[in-house]
Amino acid sequence: MEKFGIGQGIRRHEDFRFLSGKGTYIDDITHDGMVHAVVVRSPHAHAKIVAIEAQSAMAMPGVLLIVTGEDWTREGFGTMPTKSAVQKKIDGTPLNQPPRHALAIDTARYVGEPVALVVAETEMQAVDAAEALDIDYDELDAVVDPVKALAPGAPQLWDDIPGNFCLDFELGDKDGTQAAFASADHVVSLAIENNRVTAVPLETRGAIASYDPETENYLLENATQNVHANRATFAGDVLNIPEEQLHHIAPDVGGGFGAKNSAYGEPALILYAAKRTGRPVKWINQRGESFLSDTHGRGQLSTVELALDKDGTFRALRTSTIGGIGCYCWTVGPFTPSGGAARTQGGPYNFPAMYYSSKVAFTNTAPMDPYRGAGRPEASFQTERIIDYAARTLGFDPVELRRRNLMTPDMLPRKTPMGLDVDSGNFPEVFDRTLAMSDRAGYRARVAASAEKGIRRGFAIAPYMECTGGGPKEFAGVDFGRDGTVTLRVGSQSTGMGHETSMPQILAAELGIDFDRVTYVQGDTEATPIGGGHGGSRNLEVGGNAVLQAAREITAKGKRIAAHLLNSNEDDIDFADGAFKDVKTGQSIAMDDVIEASFETGRLPEAMDPGCLDTGTVYEREIITIPNGCHAAEVEVDPETGAVRVERFWAVDDFGKIINPLLADGQVMGGVAQGLGQALLEEIVYDEDSGQLLTGSLMDYALPRADDLPEMKIAYFEDAPTAKNPLGVKGAGEAGCCGAPPAIVNAVIDALAPDGVRHIEMPLTPEKVWRAIASAR
Amino acid sequence: MPTISLTVNGKPVSAEADTRQLLSVFLREQLGLTGTHIGCDTSQCGVCVIHVDGKAVKSCTMLALQADGADVTTIEGLASEGEMHPMQEAFRDHHALQCGFCTPGMVMMSVVLARDNPDLDDDAIRHGLEGNLCRCTGYQNIIHAVRAGAKAMKG
Repeated sequence: MEKFGIGQGIRRHEDFRFLSGKGTYIDDITHDGMVHAVVVRSPHAHAKIVAIEAQSAMAMPGVLLIVTGEDWTREGFGTMPTKSAVQKKIDGTPLNQPPRHALAIDTARYVGEPVALVVAETEMQAVDAAEALDIDYDELDAVVDPVKALAPGAPQLWDDIPGNFCLDFELGDKDGTQAAFASADHVVSLAIENNRVTAVPLETRGAIASYDPETENYLLENATQNVHANRATFAGDVLNIPEEQLHHIAPDVGGGFGAKNSAYGEPALILYAAKRTGRPVKWINQRGESFLSDTHGRGQLSTVELALDKDGTFRALRTSTIGGIGCYCWTVGPFTPSGGAARTQGGPYNFPAMYYSSKVAFTNTAPMDPYRGAGRPEASFQTERIIDYAARTLGFDPVELRRRNLMTPDMLPRKTPMGLDVDSGNFPEVFDRTLAMSDRAGYRARVAASAEKGIRRGFAIAPYMECTGGGPKEFAGVDFGRDGTVTLRVGSQSTGMGHETSMPQILAAELGIDFDRVTYVQGDTEATPIGGGHGGSRNLEVGGNAVLQAAREITAKGKRIAAHLLNSNEDDIDFADGAFKDVKTGQSIAMDDVIEASFETGRLPEAMDPGCLDTGTVYEREIITIPNGCHAAEVEVDPETGAVRVERFWAVDDFGKIINPLLADGQVMGGVAQGLGQALLEEIVYDEDSGQLLTGSLMDYALPRADDLPEMKIAYFEDAPTAKNPLGVKGAGEAGCCGAPPAIVNAVIDALAPDGVRHIEMPLTPEKVWRAIASAR
Repeated sequence: MPTISLTVNGKPVSAEADTRQLLSVFLREQLGLTGTHIGCDTSQCGVCVIHVDGKAVKSCTMLALQADGADVTTIEGLASEGEMHPMQEAFRDHHALQCGFCTPGMVMMSVVLARDNPDLDDDAIRHGLEGNLCRCTGYQNIIHAVRAGAKAMKG
């Protein structure tokens, strides 16, 4: 028997399955009689649907059903409301929320919006019929830019929402910030765009719906990150059936990063189609469709201002943002450019005053919802860019200016001016460790070596401080089998992060049982009564603590059984290393023996029944945690071509207690890669006039490839434990997206500082870098 | 529909193939070999890489009909007698996969890279894997795994 503890880099349970081709992703599932659905999507950014002539398509071979907005209206299905944590405008009135149906009812408002569903015996038949479907559109003017959408005279998306205005938002001390700006020695201001990107999980979205006419129950197998919340939407809001009638399962999910969080329209459409056809209905997005219809993220235009004293001490930070969210509020769309980006403004720096305000606009684009970080990467980037800009324009050393303004441990705990509860951390220490790791002593020689080749070299360091998010509650259930098996059921959801390993690791360590005995169940509304799914780096913080809580409830029950078996007082029983021990007599009994006894009435104390160790518990977070750290990058820039190479990258992260360093490394590396993608390569671009998506394939939207990345060096700081949760974890999933973009972009600016370049908008493509150099000269 | 005959994972198979069916779809739907994934529609992502007559091929770049008479190996055929291939072992050991969706293509590509160049350095691995996208790992652990897998394959 192998025992594994918390903190060990256990190899993953799930890998055998994935490495041998035995993973079960949504498109790997087939059912008897299964038929195929294809979504017909709007080719226009904004158009009235005048008529859909479905008869000839219906007559094509194999076609079973065509669903249009007219059908949807006739059936009386409900809309999908936003669950944004920010629901009100500054004046206290509710945000403007247009009705979001599973498909466009009479007007399409973005290229790719579902307009009809075609169901046929085979996928090819459905594709052919979808192409033949005759839809008469009346094109309208479109607006894709959120600033233009809010301007007078812009095309109007919704009759009853004037000015395409969703909401405005503010946080912080407006007057105090204004006063600090008024009395500061220096004020710098910079317009910063946070480029619109999309998650691109390598598995596209897809689902299979089945319906049983006898029980009137639905089954939805869905490549989703959040079965419980989305069941509530599909059952309660759309189909108007009790939640129990919809069994929602997520099989193996091939990446998500936020893009699979939402309740999309397509699963609702195929649930209906399954009932209408009496057949299981499969729908799988093509990659091109995913670019059109997956949620996008970031996409914020901000003016960021920093007030400083003569000696470089920060006085105040003020950010004003405009964010577009597409034509609907989607699931939590309004939150990211409002509360999401506001909370972590200012990062780990000591700002006496801060103020954040934003306006959120509807546009004729794909919906916006969370993408890895959902506001925190934007806040981190805005903060770090304005600090860097201040250093360059006012003549401070960028490293020193940061170092001198970090919050110090003696300032903690504290509430930031944005209301964030910072309980723990040692920002200067993490900063210094990052600097030490990055071989500053050898830097000058590396700059010289680059210069020999005609290449500029630059360095930047980017401390960040973010926070967790997502559902505050999580369920963990543990069932013991008579055959020695242990089943752990949790309502959070892995889309690749390795919960099948990290969660049993916690349980096995706490109970002192063999890790390999634990079978893990997730992503199933019938397996857990509640579940918060995936998002906000919440799994270990909320789910992991639920597992810990379940384990502690089990050992408490175990103590009673052990006391009974050892003829001891329950109070004298201690549990450690998988054994219950009477501290007075020295007698002990192993956890395995207690588990065995728990099935036998004769060996149990009164009031305990066989199977009594089975446990289900709900853990609720009281307050979100504060992951933080420091990233640094060294880049080479070729001034002749504008090409940027990230040569070296360092990260020191404070995620609290590290449960499995192997998996934590994976989170950092993957997050940094996505951060590098946003910084250098990725951008969603719509044509301003037509509203067509110009980056609608992997040939146009550049993802980082293996040779775009350097070998990263990663370390953890575990000496500032948090008491916000019993495991002492802070969350790891989104740090890379907060740290990497500012480190990389500021390193490029450092490299080009001698050329006079002060700012380049992401992504830093060779063309933009080259143009920046050319215009600075 | 025409029928094609080929060898898949060491076994002769015959099956009907639609004239416009891609090899990737044929393997998944006609033969039930769902370990070969489909991640894009432009042959960019590499999750469908298999071996055709010993070469690493994106199976979405071939029609099924073009594989008539070919010797095909998919991820399901890589392990032998229940023993994982050294490259599969190396991927697990180095945490070179997260969601697992790119993994079959990544492993199949890596096996050919290592076979054709037993002394792969990191640059050669990164260059060799340019046609295989991974959105989870940041590639670093994949590079480490391929380095170790190549060494193990050399024996």
